[in-house]
Amino acid sequence: MPLKLDAPVTVIFGYDAHKSVVKPLIIKWDGRQYKIIKIGFHHTYREGRTLFHVFSVASNTAFFRLILNTDNLFWRLTEVEGD
Amino acid sequence: MINLPFNQKPSTLMHIDLNSCFATIEQQANPFLRGRPIAVAAYDSPSGCILAPSIEAKKLGVKVGMRVKEGRLICPDLKIFSPDPNKYRSVHLALKKLLLTYSESVVPKSIDEFVVNFEGYPSFKLGMFNVGHQIKSKIKSEIGDWLTVSIGIGPNRFLAKQAAGLHKPDGLDEINHQNYQDIYSKLSLTDITGIKQANASRLNSRGIYTVMDFYNSTIYDLRSAFKSITSYYWYLRLRGWEIDDVDFGRKSFGNMYSLPKPFTNPADLAPILHKLVEKTTYRLRLSGYQARGIHLGILYRDHSFWHHGHVCHSYLFDSTDIYKRAFRLLLSSPYRQPVANISVSVFDLLKTNNLQLELFQSIDKKDRLAKAIDKINHRYGQFVITPAMMLQTGDLVPDRISFGGVKEIDLFQI
Repeated sequence: MPLKLDAPVTVIFGYDAHKSVVKPLIIKWDGRQYKIIKIGFHHTYREGRTLFHVFSVASNTAFFRLILNTDNLFWRLTEVEGD
Repeated sequence: MINLPFNQKPSTLMHIDLNSCFATIEQQANPFLRGRPIAVAAYDSPSGCILAPSIEAKKLGVKVGMRVKEGRLICPDLKIFSPDPNKYRSVHLALKKLLLTYSESVVPKSIDEFVVNFEGYPSFKLGMFNVGHQIKSKIKSEIGDWLTVSIGIGPNRFLAKQAAGLHKPDGLDEINHQNYQDIYSKLSLTDITGIKQANASRLNSRGIYTVMDFYNSTIYDLRSAFKSITSYYWYLRLRGWEIDDVDFGRKSFGNMYSLPKPFTNPADLAPILHKLVEKTTYRLRLSGYQARGIHLGILYRDHSFWHHGHVCHSYLFDSTDIYKRAFRLLLSSPYRQPVANISVSVFDLLKTNNLQLELFQSIDKKDRLAKAIDKINHRYGQFVITPAMMLQTGDLVPDRISFGGVKEIDLFQI
C-alpha cells in the first residue's frame, strides 16, 4: 500500500515548448534522487480559489503523488510506494 | 400499436461506459498497479464496501458491493484504495470534453457513463463504428493509455446501453433491426438492463422466460405482468423506440455518511448531522434553490431502518434553520441503537432569487449572512467558516461521488 504523507519535496520541473509538455523530471526525497520515467496521470482541483496540480508519477522503482500549490509554487509529496 | 415492428431507423445513439472506472483510473495514475487485482472501497477497513474492483479483481470473482474482508478472502493480494473523487471527476470532464468534439448532445448518466446522440451531426457520416474506434483511440492518447471503454450503439438509449454491456471490457457492439433477434436469443431475462429477479419473476408468472418471449409478448401480456405503465415502456424499448430521453430534473439535495464508530447518543450524532446539513444546504444555495421538506434516514447496525420527513410552512435555505428541524427529527426517532449510516435530504424545492419576507424575523439579513459565509468558503475552501458544533468532525463526511448523480459535476470544472 502507498505510504500516505504530506511533506515538502524537492522537484525539478521541465517545460518542453516544442511538445507543449510540462512535467516533473527529478524528485529529491529522503536523501535520494529519483528520475521520473512516467507520468501516470495529471489532474487539478481547487480548494477555495487556490488551484492545485496533482502529478501521479513513477520512477523505475517507485510511485509518487506530487501536489503543486499554484499560489506559492511549493511542492508536497502525499504518497510514496515502492523502493 | 398491437404489432409494432422493430425500429428501422439507423443507430444514432452511443453509450460509453468507462470500464471499472475508479479502479482503472487508480491503475492509470500508478503504473505499478496495472495488471494487478485492486479495488477502490468506501473505506479500507475490513467492513468497507468495495465500490470498484479492477478488471483483474473482477476476473477472480471480486464484485461491487462486497466487503473488503470478503474480497480479500477471494483474493488475498487484493490492494484496497480509498476514493480520490477529484481524480475521477477530472477523467469524467476530460471524457465529456472529448465527446463534445463529436456531438453537442452529450448526456452524462453517471460518473463513468455517457450517452451521445449523433443524429444530425457531421460526425455521424464517419460511421458509428469508426467514431467508436476513434473515441477509444483518443481516450488512450489524450486522457490515459490504461483506460478502456465499452461502447454500445443502438437506435435508442436502452439498446445502446445493452450493447455496451455485451463485451466488457473494451467492447464495441451495435444492436439494430438486423441483429436484435440473434442478440436477444443469447441473453437471459436478467441480462437485460432494468430486469432483475423481481421483474423476471413478474414476467415468469405470465409465461415469459426468455428475452425472445419478452420481445414477442403483446402489450396486453406485458400489462398483466407489470400492472403499470412500465409495460408500455418495455414494449417500446425492446423494439428500439425511444422512451428514455427524459430529464428528471432536480427533486432533492442530500448527503449520506456511513459512521466509522457506532454512535448511539443523539449528542454524538449531532456534529455529524450538522456537517451533513451544511454540505447539503451549501449545494442547495449554490444551485439557487430553497426547500420546504427535510428528510432524515437512519440505518442502524442491526440493519433496521428508520426515516422521517417534515414539510415546513415556508421555504428554507439557512443551514441553522434546516439543522434545527433535522435534529428534531433525529430526536423523534424511537430507537436508541448504534447507528451505521445517517442521511439527510431536503425536498419540495423552489428555484427562486426572491425571498418571502417574514413578520417576526429579518429573512434578508439571514440571506445576506448565508451568502457572505458561502462566499468566504468558496474563496478559501469549504468549511473555513463552520458552526462551532462541527468543530469535532474533522475528516468525517469526506468528499464522495454519488452513484448515478452527476448533476453538479460541472461545478468542479476549472
